[in-house]
Parts: sequence; C-alpha cells; structure tokens
Amino acid sequence: MRRIFAQVRKELTQIARDRLALVLALALPLGLMLLLGNSIALTVTGVPIVVQDLDDSPASRNFIDAFRESVTFLVIPWTTALPPERAFESTKARAALIVPQHYGRDMARGLTTPVQLLVDASDANTAKLVQGYAGEIAANYQPAAAPVKAEIRLWFNPGRESKKFYGPGIFVLGISMFPPLLAALAMSKEGEQKTILQVYVSSISATEFLLGKIFAFLLIALAEWCLSMILLVTYFGLHLAGDPTPLLAATVLYAFCVASFGTLLGAAIPNQAASIQAVALGGFLLVFLLSGLIFPVSNIPPQLRWISGLVWGRYYIEIVRDALLQGGGWPAMWFNVVMIAVIGAVFYLLAWKKMRRMQLSV
Amino acid sequence: MNRRLLSLIRKEFNQIRRDRRLALSLIVPPTLQLLLFGFALNATVDNLRMGVVDLSQTPQSRDLIAAMTQSGAFRLGGRYSSAQEEGNAIARGDLDAGIVIPNRFADDLARGRQVSVQILLNAMNANTAAIAQGYSEGVLQNWNQGLPRGGVNASFAASDLAPVARTGRVLMHPAFLFNPGLVTSWFIVTGTFGVLLMLNGSLISSAAMIKEREAGTVEQLLMTPAGTGEIVTAKIAPLVVLLCVTIAVATAMIRIVFHVPFRGSFALVLLGALLCVLSGIGIGTFIATFTKSAQQAQLMSFFVNPPLASLSGALTPVEAMPHWMQPFTVVNPIMHFGVITRVVLLKGGGIDAVWRNLAALAVFTAVLLSLSVMRFRKQLG
Amino acid sequence: MSAIAVDALTKRYGAVEAVRGIGFDVQPGEIFGLIGPDGAGKTSTFQILAGVMEASGGKVEIFGSPARDARSTTGYLTQSFSLYPDLTVAENIRYIGDLRRVTPHDIDDRAHRYLSMFDMDRFTERLAGRLSGGMKQKLSLACALVAQPKVLLLDEPTTGVDPVSRREFWDTLAHLAIEGLTIMVATPYLDEAERCHRVALMHLGEIREMGTPAELRGKLGAKRLEVHTDKLGDAEEILLRRSSEGQEIVDVQRFGDRLDVIAPDPDRGRKVVEEALGSQGLKSDVFRVDQPTLENTFVATLRNIDRGKSAEPPAYPGKHPHRDLAGQVAIGARELTKKFGAFTAVKDVNIEVKYGEIYGLLGANGAGKTTTIKMLCGLLGPTTGSMELAGEKGSLRSREVRERIGYMSQKFSLYDDLSIDENLDFFAGVYGVPPEEREEKKKWVLAFSGLEGKQDLITGSLPGGWKQRVAFGASILHEPSVLFLDEPTSGVDPLARRAFWRMINKLADMGTAILVTTHYLEEAEQCNRLGFMVAGELVAEGTPQGVKSKRGGHLLEFLVDQPQRAADLLREKGDRWRVSLFGDRLHVITDDDVETGKKKTSERLQSAGIQIREAYEEPYSLEDVFIVVVEKARQQGKFAKED
Repeated sequence: MRRIFAQVRKELTQIARDRLALVLALALPLGLMLLLGNSIALTVTGVPIVVQDLDDSPASRNFIDAFRESVTFLVIPWTTALPPERAFESTKARAALIVPQHYGRDMARGLTTPVQLLVDASDANTAKLVQGYAGEIAANYQPAAAPVKAEIRLWFNPGRESKKFYGPGIFVLGISMFPPLLAALAMSKEGEQKTILQVYVSSISATEFLLGKIFAFLLIALAEWCLSMILLVTYFGLHLAGDPTPLLAATVLYAFCVASFGTLLGAAIPNQAASIQAVALGGFLLVFLLSGLIFPVSNIPPQLRWISGLVWGRYYIEIVRDALLQGGGWPAMWFNVVMIAVIGAVFYLLAWKKMRRMQLSV
Repeated sequence: MNRRLLSLIRKEFNQIRRDRRLALSLIVPPTLQLLLFGFALNATVDNLRMGVVDLSQTPQSRDLIAAMTQSGAFRLGGRYSSAQEEGNAIARGDLDAGIVIPNRFADDLARGRQVSVQILLNAMNANTAAIAQGYSEGVLQNWNQGLPRGGVNASFAASDLAPVARTGRVLMHPAFLFNPGLVTSWFIVTGTFGVLLMLNGSLISSAAMIKEREAGTVEQLLMTPAGTGEIVTAKIAPLVVLLCVTIAVATAMIRIVFHVPFRGSFALVLLGALLCVLSGIGIGTFIATFTKSAQQAQLMSFFVNPPLASLSGALTPVEAMPHWMQPFTVVNPIMHFGVITRVVLLKGGGIDAVWRNLAALAVFTAVLLSLSVMRFRKQLG
Repeated sequence: MSAIAVDALTKRYGAVEAVRGIGFDVQPGEIFGLIGPDGAGKTSTFQILAGVMEASGGKVEIFGSPARDARSTTGYLTQSFSLYPDLTVAENIRYIGDLRRVTPHDIDDRAHRYLSMFDMDRFTERLAGRLSGGMKQKLSLACALVAQPKVLLLDEPTTGVDPVSRREFWDTLAHLAIEGLTIMVATPYLDEAERCHRVALMHLGEIREMGTPAELRGKLGAKRLEVHTDKLGDAEEILLRRSSEGQEIVDVQRFGDRLDVIAPDPDRGRKVVEEALGSQGLKSDVFRVDQPTLENTFVATLRNIDRGKSAEPPAYPGKHPHRDLAGQVAIGARELTKKFGAFTAVKDVNIEVKYGEIYGLLGANGAGKTTTIKMLCGLLGPTTGSMELAGEKGSLRSREVRERIGYMSQKFSLYDDLSIDENLDFFAGVYGVPPEEREEKKKWVLAFSGLEGKQDLITGSLPGGWKQRVAFGASILHEPSVLFLDEPTSGVDPLARRAFWRMINKLADMGTAILVTTHYLEEAEQCNRLGFMVAGELVAEGTPQGVKSKRGGHLLEFLVDQPQRAADLLREKGDRWRVSLFGDRLHVITDDDVETGKKKTSERLQSAGIQIREAYEEPYSLEDVFIVVVEKARQQGKFAKED
C-alpha cells in the first residue's frame, strides 16, 4: 500500500514539473471545449438561397417574402439569365427556389401549386435540413389552410443550441484523450529511459506498480473533470438535471478506465513517440467516432456498430448527457456504469498481464 | 545534380526504406480514417422511434399514425396512454419522438376546424431535432394533401373561412442536385481527404525533422560540406513522394469504396492535394523547430491539429458555425481543399469555380513552407 | 556459501548468443571485477544477476537463492544510472527507498549518511538532471545502497567520469567491501580492475581469464620492461616485428610515454631490445623491470585471440597528404569565451594547433571541452574571442573549410538505421570523395574496424566500441587536413585503442592537424601538446613532458600489503590529494626530496603495522598531474567542489 502511495506521489511530482504536460492536461481540454463546442454544429442557418421568380406577381412576391423574412434562409440576388445551378458550383447558394410562371393565377384559383426547390445535395445532411426548412415555411405560409397542424414540442434543449449537445461530447473527449496520453507517456518513458530497471530490481509487484501509476493519472483526470465541469456549467449553460450520483460514480470509474488505457498502451509500447500515436489513434478515433459524440450511434452501420458497444466513451457520454440534459438517473444509466467498470477492469487486466513478470522481456 | 544533394537524398531514402512504421503510417491510418469516418459518421436521421398516444382511436387518427410510422423517417416505438407517460419514455431513452393525437381529432376534421397534434421531439441533438421536425411537417403536409377533396375539404370550403380557403396551397417539389441519393458519406469523405493529407503530412514531416536532432547526428551533418538548404531540401523531397502514396491510396478509396463521382477534372484536385501536402509539411516543420524530441512534437500537434481539422468544414459545414467564427476558416488550407474537392468532384466545377481557393492554398503553402524552412535553417546554422 | 554463484550461464537474443556459458563464484565481502570491451556480454550478465532478465540457460544464485528471488538483497547500478532527471536528489532516494520498503525513518537516516559521505548533502533539493556526471554516479550509488543490500552490482559506473571522481568512487567501494558488502563491478579502466580482489576477463560472451590481479599478471609468465625512447612509434613497430621473430620478446605495448616490453627472461629481453633499437639508430633506455600490469595481460590475451584472424589492418590508402602545410597554424583561438546567459562555460582560452600536430584537450565532464571544440570547429559561435580554422579567419562555416575538416562527435556520428555500407557511402558522397577512391577506402574502414564482410549490418546493432571504429573511419574518408576527435576511444577495447592511436599518429605524420579529447589519460601521452581544462579555463598547457615537469615535487610509488588502509592513514595526516591509489599501488606526492619523502612516509606506514614491499620514485603520469592540477585549481577557488 505504501508503495502505491509512493508511486502516486512520484508521478504527480514529475507531472507538476513538466509544464507542457500540465498545459496539455488542464488547459488544452478547456480550450478545445470552447473551440469545438462552438464550431461543431450541423444545423445551418442563413442558408443562401437563390430565387427565380418567373411569375413576378404580388402573390409570388408575397411568397418569396416569407423566405426573405425567415432566419433559416438568406435570399441572394441572381440574374434570371443564368441557370441557378451555376450558383451552386461556385458555392454562392445552396438552394434555389423557382416560382413557376402561373403561380399567382393558380393560387387565386385555389389550386395546389407546385414550386420547385433545387437543393445542393453535396452535403446530404444540410440538404435535408434545407428541405425541411423550406417545407416549414411553405406550410406556415398559409397556416389556416392546413387541416392538421403540428405543434412541435422540443424537450431537453428547447433553444436547440448545438453547443448543449456537443459541449458534453467534447468534455468527454478531453477526459478520454489527455489523461491517457500522459499516462502512456509516463509508462513508456520508464521503458525507454530504462528507469524501469530499478523498479524491477525492487521486487515491487506488478499490481502495486500499475495501481500506483493508474491512480496518479486518475487524479489528474479528475482534476481535468472538475475544471471542464465548471466550464460546462458556466459557459455552456448546462446544469444538473436530476440525480447526480450516477455521474459521480461513473466519473470515478471512467477516470480509472482511461488511466488504465493509457498505462496499458505505454506498457505495450516502450517508445514515447509511438505510444502517443497509439493513444491518439485508438482513443481519439474510437471515442470520437464511435461513441456518439457528434454523430448518433444509431447511424453507424450495423457492421461497425458493435464496435461502438466496446467503446468506453460511448457509455460515459450517454451518462453525461443524461445527467445534464435528460435526468433519467440510475434506472436509465445503470447499465452504462457497469460497462465502464467492466471495460476499465479489462484494460487493467491486460496491463497486468503485460507487466506481470516485472522483468525485461527479451 | 549536385553530388552532395544526391547523397543526402539517398541517405534519407535509405532511412525511410527501413522505417517500417513510417510505411505503415502512410497507408493504414489514412485508410482507417477514411473508412471509419466515411461509414460511421453519418448524420442521417431516420427510423426514429416514435411513440404513439392516440386519444382519438378513429380511422382518421390511425391513418395519420400509419402515415407517420411508415414514412421511413419514423417507426412505431410503442403505444402509450398519456402524454406524460410518453414523455417519460423519451426521458428514459426508449423513444426518440412521440405523437399525441387529441380525442377531438376526427370530430374537428369533420367539422372543418383546424386541429393540432402534438409532436414531441428529443432536442438534445439539435440536428436530429431539426430534421425530425422537417420530416414530421413534411409527412403532415402530404397527409393534408391526401385528404379527399370532397368530404372533409368540401366542408372546409363551405365554412366561414372562405377567403382563406379559396387560395391554393403551395407544394414544395425538391430536387436534389449532384447527390440525388443523398449519400451522406460523400460529404464526409471529401472533407476527410484534406484532413488526412494535412494531418499525416505534418506528423511525418515533424518526425523526420526531429529525428536527426534526437539521434544527435545533427552536429555531424552540419560539419559536412552540405549546406542547410540542401539538408532541408533532401528531407522534404522524399516526404512529398511518400505523401503522394497517401494521396493515391485515399483517391482509390474514395472512388472505389465510396463511389464518389469524379465529375470534374481530377487534375485540379491533384494540384490542390499537392499544395495541401506541402502545407502539411510546412506546419510539421514549423512545429519541429519548437520542440526537442519526437514526443514533444507529437504533443504540440495536439494544439494545432484539432483546431485545423474542426474549423475546416471537413465534417461539419462551415455555414453551421457561429457567424463570428466563419471568417477564420479562410486561413485554413483544409477548408479550401475541401471546397476544391467537393466543387470539382461532386459538382463538376472547373477552374473558374475554384481558382480562388487554389490561389489561397498556394499562398498558404508558400508562406508556411518558407517560414518554417527559414526557422529550421536558422536553428541548424 | 558464495555470495554470487553462476554456473553455465547462457543468454541468447534471437540468433545472437550474447553469453555463452560462463561460470564463477564471488565470496562475501569480495570485490569482483568484470572487464571486457563493448559487446562482450557484461551487461546481459549483470541484468540476469539483478533478476531483471531471464537467462536462456544455466543457474544464477545470490546467497543460495535464485537471482530473481534474491532481488531484495541486491543493489544494481545500471550503465545509464536510472535516475529520474525531473526529481530532486532527495525525491529520487525517497522513491527508491519506498519501492524497496525501507521505513521512512531509515530512508532519512541512510540518505543523510550516504549523501554526506559523498559530500552531496548540499544538493538534496537539486534536480537529478542538473547534476554533473560524477554526482549522478554518487546519487545512483546512494539509491542502490539505501536498501542496505548484501550484494552490489555495478555496470560500468565510472565510464566518462573524471579521474578524480573515479578514484573517490573506488575509495568508497573499498570501504563498503571492508564493511562486508559483496561488490561485482564492470569497468573499462584496467587500473580500476587492479583494485579488485579478483578479476574476470570477458570477450565475446566467454570468460577468457579469471583470477586475482596478481595471478593474471603472473600468467604471462614474463616480466615487463619499461622502455623509454624518443621515437616511440617507430620503436614499437621495430620491436613488434622482432617479437614475432623470436621468443625473447613476447609482446610490445605502448602505454603513455613508454613501451612495455613483455619478456620471459628480462636480461635477454633487455639485450634484444637494445640491439634491435640500436641497429636502427634509436636510443633506448630500459627504465625498470617489473611485473606486467593487467592491461598488459589483457592486451596480450586479446592479441592471442585475434592471432587466428587477420593480422595488422592494411595500410591506410591515403592519397592526399598535407605535408606541405607543416608549420602553419591549423586551429587557432585567442581569448575564446562563451557565455550562456549568466553562466560562463569557457573563459579566455588560447589554443594553437599546427598542421602535423596532435593536441589533446583534457578535462572532466562539464569542464567546457565540448563547448570549446564546438566553437573551434565552427558549430557554436563564441561570445568573444577570435578564431582561425584551416586558414580561414572569418566565416568558419564556409563550405571550403568544411570540406577540409573531419569531425567525430562524442557518441553520435553514424546513422543507426542505416547499414555500415550505406553510412560510408553517405559520408563519402557528401564529402566529395572521388568515386575511384571510394571502394578502396570503404574496404579499409571495414578492415580497420574488424568488420570485413559485414558491411550490410545495421549500424544500430553494433556494440558501442565497434561503432566508434566505423565512425572514426568515416570521419577520415575524405582525408581532411584538420581532424576533431571527441572521445574517439570510449568503450573500445585496449587492443583496438592502440590501433586507433597508431592511426592517429600516422595521420599526424601525413600532415593532418588533430585535436582530440579523451578520458584515458595514458593515451593523452601520445599527443604533441596538451591542455587541461577546469571550470572553463585552460589551467595547464604544454607538451606532456613539460606539463609533468612543471608540477614540481616527486611522485613516490609504494607497494604495500594493505593499500587501502595505507591510503586512508596517510590522508588523515596530510593533503588528501597527495595520496591516491593507482591499481594496487600507493602514489604519494611529496615536496621533499626523494629520500626524505620515502623515509617519512615509510615510517608513518610502518608504525601503523603496514608492510612495505617496495618504494621508489616514479615519474609522474598524466593522471597524477591531472589530479594535482584539479586540486590546485579548487584550492585557488576556481570553482567550488563539485559545483
């Protein structure tokens, strides 16, 4: 037990003296949260749209005004001489509204009038959004005409602020990347600089050695967590929605999990530069891609989706979002907490297996 | 060519030849990134689980429910007896959306009175919510459209809402250009291409620049008659050649695996790719001049690469960023390359559409390369 | 029970057999030395003994338990010291102590004891990365001792450390052994090996010789004749030739400023020497007849081993001698100073090396030698002072200058990830060696390094000493007129070292100016001129002979039965620096004349019950001079001790 404590103290002392590591562990995640939390969004507003009014009647102008006044579109001028597709090529516009020649007449007659909407679908997601927006404008243009009207109720994020969704995601990404990075570095440095020989000679057991290292980086992960949490609450405007205990329990387990992950990679790859790459590749790719950080897990094709079931970040991100937005509590999240514990245990066991002999492995 | 330069280049190639990790890192990570990003990053929203609270229980309500749940956008997630219960299910994560049809539904319709149905959406993910909203309104619009002219609508027509009822209804006909199948991977993959080149370029170039300093052979190199310009050129030239391999691999994947159309002139994209690679090398060299060891350089790259990659419109559109952020993307080479790739490959644009982006890329490349090479030379000499 | 018992130990790394079945026993309280060049298998043996690596076969026991289980009684000093550079001295000791389960109270106690024993207790709060080489070594030792081990394993602890620190370290070791600690130590310095109780000589994974230093020396079955003459290089060649012709001379080895001639019958040997040298017109003076040293034994053994292989390497294919430049200044520096911020690394150094001269720059690690060399060859700009290099006064970094300079940096000259052939090709190409000369020169480098036919080996896989040889060859491919060699012989076995210096001498003969640094002070005797650096200043300069005669006083050498005790005793009464152990001989520097000095010291020793076998005056060796110079500089306050 004493040895574990000594290990923790040594690791923390070393980190405290390494300025680059400190910035990496504490400042960079916050910076990333601010940067990415703001910049990652899928919902475009002010979509530039080109309008071709082939009718030029009061009715058509009325209709087009609805688009001008909307916040989702930005009408930009375009000559009727050129086909609207040209606007797409130079990315001046993403959509084109073509009001047909007899619009006013048909509308007055009470007919259903088709209006053509050309959409630049190179970005499929935005294309669908555009379609939806345009449809919404058209539907609300004559509210009284529709028999059935939809009353949309948005739950958990009424302002539809993207950053409330992605903020927690980047928060989790930071905790999933930087503590294991530092852990992997510390572990591989021992191997590279051969200071591990003294450790081997001391006949310390693999368990004590590993736990010492892991706890040190667990503490760093928790420190980062606290700082990031403060940012989430203040800048991102999130707050606890319900029972915080799943989050707290999961956080400690998750910190153990990522610290074990980093230590495992550092033990397996006794080369500092290479172990950084491994953590970056593994941690970043997996957590970023397959954990539902930005793009929903349900969209991942089934062949790959099973991988998501193994990614520790996915479970934690659900817990965080739940704690801050939904408030489902233990009934909703107990499985996630268990999975995080299991994955953490697996990482630890693998690391232990690697280090078990506490000898040079040649 | 100058014999010294030749010897230097030959040495660099010999070293690279033996570096198995380098060869792998030119092929494996890019491939993985493209595959994973292309397949897994999918913003599509469909088959959302929709719960149903049908307080009307009439053929009309069932018809509306059928229209919703068979639309492809939604599927039946379960039946609930109250809005409260349904809301809890959404909170629990059992449902993505819910519909509540009031019990006066059929009566109001028959009487020609407008009736509203509640659509509950889980708005945690703003994008999903927006698209789901669009879908539901689209389904409703179609359903409204499908109501027979006689019967219900006739009553409508006869009601006091005469003036309004007399005007027609607008029906949006969308046509999706360039990507009629709305394949989401095309956007992602064309964006990832640039991120790949930049990331890998900067990583391997900073590793190459630092390797000598780490191994301690820099002094020996400096004592040879080779000039610093020759040393730097010899280091950069093989990297460009290597990264062309990455370009080739990525292009093959984009074409063969993701079936991205190549409508425009690929030469433009190739030119952009080369410039992108050179920018990446410039950034990597720049980072290398600030650090003393390979691991430090890698750590520094965490300060550079995430902002570059995320502020590039590679995965998420630039237009979706806050307005104050959007101008900053102009200085991002990845952004320009993304535009070039998408405009040329997907939209078939020509030089007149992308010359501005190419010019910007060229400027950045020139600035980055010369700054970093200058710094490197100063450090060496 | 033996403290260490090794039986038929083997270790294989894939296809390479590093240790091929060695066996030995070490008794408690013994100092057991392991000597051998790089690649002999010493480090592997140590790692297995320390329990940090599995053997491929054989048995290793420490006090009766397998090495792996006995780790708690073992202390291990690795070659790279295994210290945490970003922890302080105190934190390093504390951490190792905690790992070894020493109670905090004991850790404090022992740390205090050892640090004050090593005179380091002022530095407890200094980061380990900022310590000098000698201090790092002592800190490692303190860490190894904090757990009170019963067996201490030291893998080349004194490599690269200055002679003063080295001697202090060995004094410490001797005291620890007297207290009962069993010590097994590897060292490249054969004078240190003489201070061991028993020594084993390892070569290519096998133990070739083992025994007490006296036994090993006796194995040659011959005596050593110290021959002084003025043209040592020629004399060596003549006598070597003669030795292969008859039985009177078994071996000839150059050591410092003399030749050691090994002859079974000293009288006949002497006659042959005088005759052989006289017939070539060389004067000779057989100074003394004595026991051979361990170095003699080692070299002779190695020569026997190699005798089966190729003979002398082929002559250097030099086609462009620089004899026409003789007499001109090749390297010049006047009032050279370098400051890094507030720290003055080099102060007012004046050096002049002419073409055809060998200049030796000596000094402890951190004295400023490397900084000075970097300035002299143009890699670093001076803060003040003027320099001249290969006739160029202004831009020392011009291409023309660099084409004429050869440079071998300390430890890092070749590309580890290239094959030997590719490395040589690169240097040949980048230095513009004419294509028609390349093949011949590359072949010569391989022969010189003893690596014929192995040009496709990856350089990184070579042991250090072999890399040095190839690096040396690579640095002279283009026949430079000025050559900078920074510790070219570290890690190289004594036989190959002599080959190096023969080559250096030949280059000087051909007109090259050579600036060399080395820690083997007996090599420095072969320089034309020397400079000693202490704390950034040149404190002594001149020819080896001149430097030695300037010291004043006399050096008395005593052969006693308890050298360590005698040294301790004498140190109590007089200046510490006057008394030192060289091998198992006691060196005392006295300001009195020879007879008075002998008498005074003998009396003091005998009154303490120490028997004196022999006492005579010995000419100063450079190492003695070095120690005196450093001490005098300290006394003049040039720098605080170990700062």
